[in-house]
Amino acid sequence: MKKEEIDSFYRALRDTNLVTMETLVKEYIGKGITPISILNEGLIGAMSVIGQEFKTSQIWVPEVLLAARNMNRGIEILKPELQREKVSSKGKFVIGTVKGDIHDIGKNLVVMMMTGAGYEVIDLGTDVPKDRFLEVISKEQPDFIGLSALLTTTMLEMGEVVKAIRQALPHPPRIVVGGAPLTQTFADEIRADGYAEDAVRAVELVNRLLTEEGRK
Amino acid sequence: MKNPLSPIPKRRFLSGLFGRRRGNRISVANPTSIVSVELMEKTRVYFPEAHLDPVKMAELAAAGYEILGFDSIMPEFSVQQEAEALGCVVDWGNPTMMPDAKTHPAKEADQLTIPDNLLEKPSLQVVLRALEILRRNYGDQVALIGKVMGPWTLSYHLAGVQEFLLWILTDPDKVRGFLNRLKEVTITFAKSQLQAGADVVVVADHATGDLISPKTYQDFLLPVHQEINQRIGGPTILHICGNCSDRLRLFVEAGFDGYHFEWQVDAKMAVRVVNHEMSLVGNIANKNVLFGGTPEDVYKQARYSIEAGVDILAPECAVPLQTPIANLKALVEAAKEGYSKMSC
Repeated sequence: MKKEEIDSFYRALRDTNLVTMETLVKEYIGKGITPISILNEGLIGAMSVIGQEFKTSQIWVPEVLLAARNMNRGIEILKPELQREKVSSKGKFVIGTVKGDIHDIGKNLVVMMMTGAGYEVIDLGTDVPKDRFLEVISKEQPDFIGLSALLTTTMLEMGEVVKAIRQALPHPPRIVVGGAPLTQTFADEIRADGYAEDAVRAVELVNRLLTEEGRK
Repeated sequence: MKNPLSPIPKRRFLSGLFGRRRGNRISVANPTSIVSVELMEKTRVYFPEAHLDPVKMAELAAAGYEILGFDSIMPEFSVQQEAEALGCVVDWGNPTMMPDAKTHPAKEADQLTIPDNLLEKPSLQVVLRALEILRRNYGDQVALIGKVMGPWTLSYHLAGVQEFLLWILTDPDKVRGFLNRLKEVTITFAKSQLQAGADVVVVADHATGDLISPKTYQDFLLPVHQEINQRIGGPTILHICGNCSDRLRLFVEAGFDGYHFEWQVDAKMAVRVVNHEMSLVGNIANKNVLFGGTPEDVYKQARYSIEAGVDILAPECAVPLQTPIANLKALVEAAKEGYSKMSC
């Protein structure tokens, strides 16, 4: 896809009118562009520009929320095409805010960014008990588990979830953690595989872990 | 020259708030909660009762002065008192969990109903009555700090954070509609807290630096904050979390007497930019220092802020409930060393 084409997806992500995205995706499907190309080069390519702009404070959370809303609409239109061509995701990512914590804006940003980066995301919502994480891991066999917490009290619950996953499973998925009160030191202490400061860095972290996994 | 200002906590705080006559040392105060589990155990007054009973609220709040040695008492621990009065279902939490609004009942500005008897609502009455108790018991000696939520924070509670932030782009008129209606709650509650005995009211309005741009603050909130300050009349301190280094001048323009700020904002830079046109209250880091650090870490940060010229020393935000008392006391100890030669 040419730069001007990626730019048109970028503009559609920034547009407050959902119709712009709908029209664009339909136009590209109509032109016979493969759905994987529309997804990877158009939507994901433009979303990574949004991610970088967010990381460098050129845009703020409202713009990211808008881009994510528009991106989801684009993927929705693309889904039947993708299923027809059996396009596989980069990996499966299960995420939830741990028990006792009902905050979800940070987690939702991660969901949007991970979806935008081509992962299949299963969002368990907020206040998720550790047994629910274990149940979903057994059923879905994800590549990654993401744990989120906003409160200092509930970040301690994260340690319990990590412990339970490691105890219950001989080959657990990679566990990544994030949330306002967390630090890399804390993530190391509870034996998480990675910590990310924000949603953009979460995608970078998971991509890196995936590459490392591939090398093994 | 001997300093004429006698070391009474209230005078020390007020001179810091208005940026003059510094006395022999900086004031240590808390615009937001400094309650911890340890403090609850010492006073035998616990959450959630302390959010709902004025006598218990006053008793637990006073521990900040009695036990920790702060110059202020601030009785509104949670950010949800107004939310319940406006119709949100609030889970009042427990000793290790702050309250949280479970429902966000308004999706349109015209769905916002501000009750005629707003100040009679139990969750607001408790704060007003606690302030009256504190005024009777401490009003001559200790600075009494009130706290209200600004219309931005109230919009989060009533509409949901994500929805409200998205409306900034998709429906800016709706955002303005929410702010215009909800500012009346902020003004009404603030005025009544001043009348009940507060020396100053903190306006907590979480348009945080990490969520929205300075331009969004300028376009949507600045005129509302200017009006709020005009109409409240009495002294106000703005509390906005996050890195707000890029919008400090806007807070000065809004007409607040003080700004309660985070460690992410460098104190030296803030003092230079604000140029004594507004007092700076802060900015000891919660996560790595007051909660996760040692008394030595607290001491180092406190001395940095004092030497930078901050007007009142304070934790950057409501401290995590597991914060050790020793770290909070270390803040007061650092202040007792007085000003360094460099900051004179």
